[in-house]
Amino acid sequence: MKKTHIPKLDDLLGGGVPAGSSIMFCANPGVDCEAFGYQMLNGLVKEGERGFIFTNVAEPDSIIYEFDSYGWDIVSAIENENVFFVDGSSSFIGAPSNAKYSFTDYSETEDVVLKAINDIPDGIAVINNLSTIIDYMGDLETVEIVKKWNKAAKENNTTIIYIFTEWDYEDSMVKKLKSSVDCVVELKTIEERVIVGQGFMVAGASWTEPLDTMILFFVIQPGGVKVYIPKILVTGPYNAGKSSFVKAISTKSVSVDRKAVGAFPTTIAMDIGHLDYKGFFADIFGTPGQERFDLILDVLSKEAVGAFIIIDSTAPQTFARAKEMIRKTRAEAIPKIIVANKQDLEGALSPDEIRDKMKLSKDIPIVPAVITEGKGTQECLDALLKLLYGD
Amino acid sequence: MVINLILRIQSGIPGLDQITADSKTGMGGIPENTATLVYGPPKVGKSIFCYQFMHGGLSLDEPCLYVLTDYGIKQLQQNTSDFGWELDNYIEKEMLYIVDAISSISGTKIINTENFSSSSVHNPTDIMVKLGVGTRYISQRSPRFRSILDSLTTLFAFNQELLIVRVLTAYIMRIREAGGTALITYTEGSADVKVETMLKAVVDNVIKLDGEYLTIEAMVGCGQKKAPYKITNEGIIIE
Repeated sequence: MKKTHIPKLDDLLGGGVPAGSSIMFCANPGVDCEAFGYQMLNGLVKEGERGFIFTNVAEPDSIIYEFDSYGWDIVSAIENENVFFVDGSSSFIGAPSNAKYSFTDYSETEDVVLKAINDIPDGIAVINNLSTIIDYMGDLETVEIVKKWNKAAKENNTTIIYIFTEWDYEDSMVKKLKSSVDCVVELKTIEERVIVGQGFMVAGASWTEPLDTMILFFVIQPGGVKVYIPKILVTGPYNAGKSSFVKAISTKSVSVDRKAVGAFPTTIAMDIGHLDYKGFFADIFGTPGQERFDLILDVLSKEAVGAFIIIDSTAPQTFARAKEMIRKTRAEAIPKIIVANKQDLEGALSPDEIRDKMKLSKDIPIVPAVITEGKGTQECLDALLKLLYGD
Repeated sequence: MVINLILRIQSGIPGLDQITADSKTGMGGIPENTATLVYGPPKVGKSIFCYQFMHGGLSLDEPCLYVLTDYGIKQLQQNTSDFGWELDNYIEKEMLYIVDAISSISGTKIINTENFSSSSVHNPTDIMVKLGVGTRYISQRSPRFRSILDSLTTLFAFNQELLIVRVLTAYIMRIREAGGTALITYTEGSADVKVETMLKAVVDNVIKLDGEYLTIEAMVGCGQKKAPYKITNEGIIIE
């Protein structure tokens, strides 16, 4: 097995990628996908493997500069001839190339890469970017090329990594492409108007049954792909049931309210929990509901990727406060679920009535719940995961 | 009665909001949250149109996301300064986010800052990554913002044409979802006629500049219009 050197990904893949197989990082436009290929190559080269980068989007010098920005030394590997470039970029912007292989016509792509694969038995090949090849070579032709490369790679025991930006291609072509590789890792965006987070998910791997879990990450320079435990916010008016909700969805939870005298010297009133649901990990931050604590809402809500807004379905007079809290926690700009709590009590409004009274867009799910009895909490989690994971 | 009120934002071009005015509401300007293609032959004022659209917004506290593919940030600062619009102040006030996709091609390595990203015209994937960061940055400052892509011409020169149509589709979708109003320029004849037709199909509004006349070929809530214009030291003025 070859390690991917992407944190958590090896766990999802049952230890790594078998030598000689093909893996595709398939990205929504807007996701930093190049770092995945480069990081994998860098890690394996450090372990003594050989490899090459095929590029049709950046000149070798820019890629070397990028490796340097990540804090990775590729220069010495190039000098030792452990890494080389297949340059399908320089000639197209009129720049000279000193890469081992370069070409001036796209029709040469297939053969040049085949040669390069044969140069590095047991090594690593990075293809950046597959989508550029598609529009030059045609849909079906590209699928055929990928199959030929994979075959050569298998014979050579070369592991081949594709970077693929999924623009609005025909679904059937994308399916064919994905099914022609051994493993597909989807790189997705978490969006609410704008991108608020990025995550990766293994869509399939021929050698293992991967976990159906999204891992959130960011790409930093220096450093590369770093995974993080996302923050989920639980907010809502006073006495709506926030603390009970945090407790209900968490494997472990602490209410700072109660601990205020003991573990924490100050009176920062909040709930903290840890969520581990269907493989999705998150830290849960419950905000206080009383207005006198509004000062810390801003701090608590920073960098959250999702929110639960808990409301008391029997108390429509608090709905305005709920909307104010959505605004103050900046939850308008992240995926969110309205938890319509206390559905068991007399006078509880239905989700539709609540939507109407709160003037909420129909895209925002409202889930009926009785938190104290654990009713609806799982539905809330499923609804949020659905928003975060997309289709 | 259903009233379809189309919100409009001031174009920043003297005279343009008057000729686009709705006969019923009297409101004119560029329809908000749409994408507008400004095209025409070289040297007719397409980039100047962009500067005015940007400056018009900035002076109303509407931030701007600017994607440069024809000229770098230095050139943008110089060109706008020629009209008396100084950008430094707006950059400092975090009202501008610039993605410079051309300076790196000439080998210039520019340090990225909080509201400046370097990218490459040859790498649309990277441009979209920077754009994602930029829309987030800008939309945190204002729910209403403007976005300019000047121009598609260079992208066509460095990439396969169909790929750029895909990139444009993704770009417009990203800006629209974020609540922005997009302006895209294109030099007539720099891509295949079929591709030109596709471009016009993915945008909402089409404005042609030919050096003498500004023609609104299509605009949400506004019929076709044509008016003479001239380029003065205050930019484009519709006569």
